[in-house]
Amino acid sequence: MAVTAIQLCLAVLLPLRGKALFARNDTMPNILLTTLCNRSCPYCFAGNEMPGPANLISRENLIYIADFLLASGQRHISLLGGEPTLHPECLDFILYLLDRGFNVTVFTNGILGQCDLDEFKRHLAGVSVERLDFVCNLNNPIQTPASAQESEKVHTFLETMGPWTTPGFNIYRLDFSLDFLFDYIGRYGMKRRLRLGIAHPVPGSRTDFIQTGEIREVVSRLYSYRRFFDRFRVSPGLDCGFPICKFSDEELGWLHRFPGNPFFGCGPAIDISPDMSVYHCFPLSKYHRKSLFEFDSMARLREHFRTIRSAIQAEIAGIYDECDGCQRREDGVCSGGGLCRIVGRFVDEAPIRLAEIEDGISGYRISG
Amino acid sequence: MEFPVIVSPDNEDLLEKLTGRRVALRVGRWDRIAAGLEMVRKSGCSLFCIIVESDRPVADIDFGDCPAGVPLALMAPSTGRFRSLARHLDMLRTLNLRVYLPWDSAENLPGLRILSSVGINCCAYSETGLTDWEALADLATYALLERAPHAAIEPFAYIASNYNPSEYLHWGRVMFDDPTCFAHSDEAGRVALSRSELARGCFVARSPREISAWPELPEVRDRKLSWKRFFAENHPCASCPGWKICLGKFSAGLAQNGGCATFFEEMIDLVHRYRAMPAPRREVEIWRP
Repeated sequence: MAVTAIQLCLAVLLPLRGKALFARNDTMPNILLTTLCNRSCPYCFAGNEMPGPANLISRENLIYIADFLLASGQRHISLLGGEPTLHPECLDFILYLLDRGFNVTVFTNGILGQCDLDEFKRHLAGVSVERLDFVCNLNNPIQTPASAQESEKVHTFLETMGPWTTPGFNIYRLDFSLDFLFDYIGRYGMKRRLRLGIAHPVPGSRTDFIQTGEIREVVSRLYSYRRFFDRFRVSPGLDCGFPICKFSDEELGWLHRFPGNPFFGCGPAIDISPDMSVYHCFPLSKYHRKSLFEFDSMARLREHFRTIRSAIQAEIAGIYDECDGCQRREDGVCSGGGLCRIVGRFVDEAPIRLAEIEDGISGYRISG
Repeated sequence: MEFPVIVSPDNEDLLEKLTGRRVALRVGRWDRIAAGLEMVRKSGCSLFCIIVESDRPVADIDFGDCPAGVPLALMAPSTGRFRSLARHLDMLRTLNLRVYLPWDSAENLPGLRILSSVGINCCAYSETGLTDWEALADLATYALLERAPHAAIEPFAYIASNYNPSEYLHWGRVMFDDPTCFAHSDEAGRVALSRSELARGCFVARSPREISAWPELPEVRDRKLSWKRFFAENHPCASCPGWKICLGKFSAGLAQNGGCATFFEEMIDLVHRYRAMPAPRREVEIWRP
């Protein structure tokens, strides 16, 4: 009897049932080093955190977070912003966290000045590519054009830090093109994994994003690049919010040929801002925001956000009506799409809400 | 009272006059350590520790070879940039080393925390008397209660180990500031009760020979009993809840900044909480004055 890809997927994932698979236990907390950014992307999901005066994380707070995570058994950490490399001590913080035993991922746009880049190269040259990963968020130079100066800086960054760099790409339009990324990966000797994010709506902010009804089209277009992925031996890595039901058996089977299980979940990413606020993820940065000082471990922190998710999904199961009663969701194989989209459904579809869930969400409208 | 350790400059002639004594040898640069060790060996003194007094931040010191196990106290103005410090850390962690930074500088409080968190034993001390007591209390809390592994920060670790509610605690010794344990000598062999008095030229002996009667020196006896003055004068320090571990050390700055009382009261509370921890964290043990 032929085993379908979805059966294969379930055979791998079902034994983990009950472990809230879509809320990964190995979630890397993200530390925002600064709210400054030197690029303006049309899909920016961090916009709610960016306005206002420049905010830089202090050394004391960084040490506190490092201790908090170590005491929680965490060994991975992500640094982001804004643009994290704009923090004057970004390099010092990377080195510090490496010395504390963390594997460090830095989410960057690659726009660094030459002096900073030289410093990065000088101090990070001896660090294993297994322990340090720059996820460089790359925009298509034709579809999302940048200034010549900005492009040049990104290329210089990739030339210098290519072996430590994983390309990242955010899908915010249906005619997205990935061709240039395969060229970059080969040209700059980057890591052969492409991190693919789907642009989500950000409550209270007008950014470009993929409509919920368009996700199938995105998956289909993504799959059309399979020959490139295969030929260049690049593995696709799905970021938050891809629902499993939008993939055909054939597409799922293809995804399973790459190392690691494909991810059909949604955080909590757990972002920690310079002022030590914690929230589920960027799109929900104003939603049930807390202070890190209110928690004594990562487990408690994750539990807090999982409880909120459960309360929300008890009312609206997922981004589609079919998510209600979906076996994949109940088995923990799929989260029912991004929580930010699910919360967004309250605004339009559920005028009467529990105060606990509400948390001022009706104050914002979904962008677009 | 035991004969004190003599904190001495690396002067060969002076060391010869101290034969048979224990010395803490002050050198001005890291690369003077080997020569200083040789000097002590030749002089017939016994080595208590080497004190490296650097005018450069820790990160910018040219660290050369240093024999393993030699007790080292590195006094520096600050830690410097972590990117420069990082390349030295593996070597520094192999040494029997404590880094001393003045707590008067705001940048040194996170600096001490960074050093401790990467496994370097350190000590905070007051250089000018200007203290941000709240920030210092945060550092003490980190030193004693933080669950993540880290190296000891003095004087908090010393106070936590030695505090006894029914006794007075003199913790100045961890920073060589206790005349019952340390005498400070200059190049000419003149002796003072503390480093600051040495700098100000307040000597209690004109030569090391006079030190043979050290415990009998009136200045040493007076200093040992100086706490009594606070009661005789009905000084506010004498009725402070933190008196037993402060003993009026910061009375001079009381009018400008009375935060010391809250700090020392909190310090005693921290010690109780530290001792009540189910499995107190074990520090990496290195030499301690």
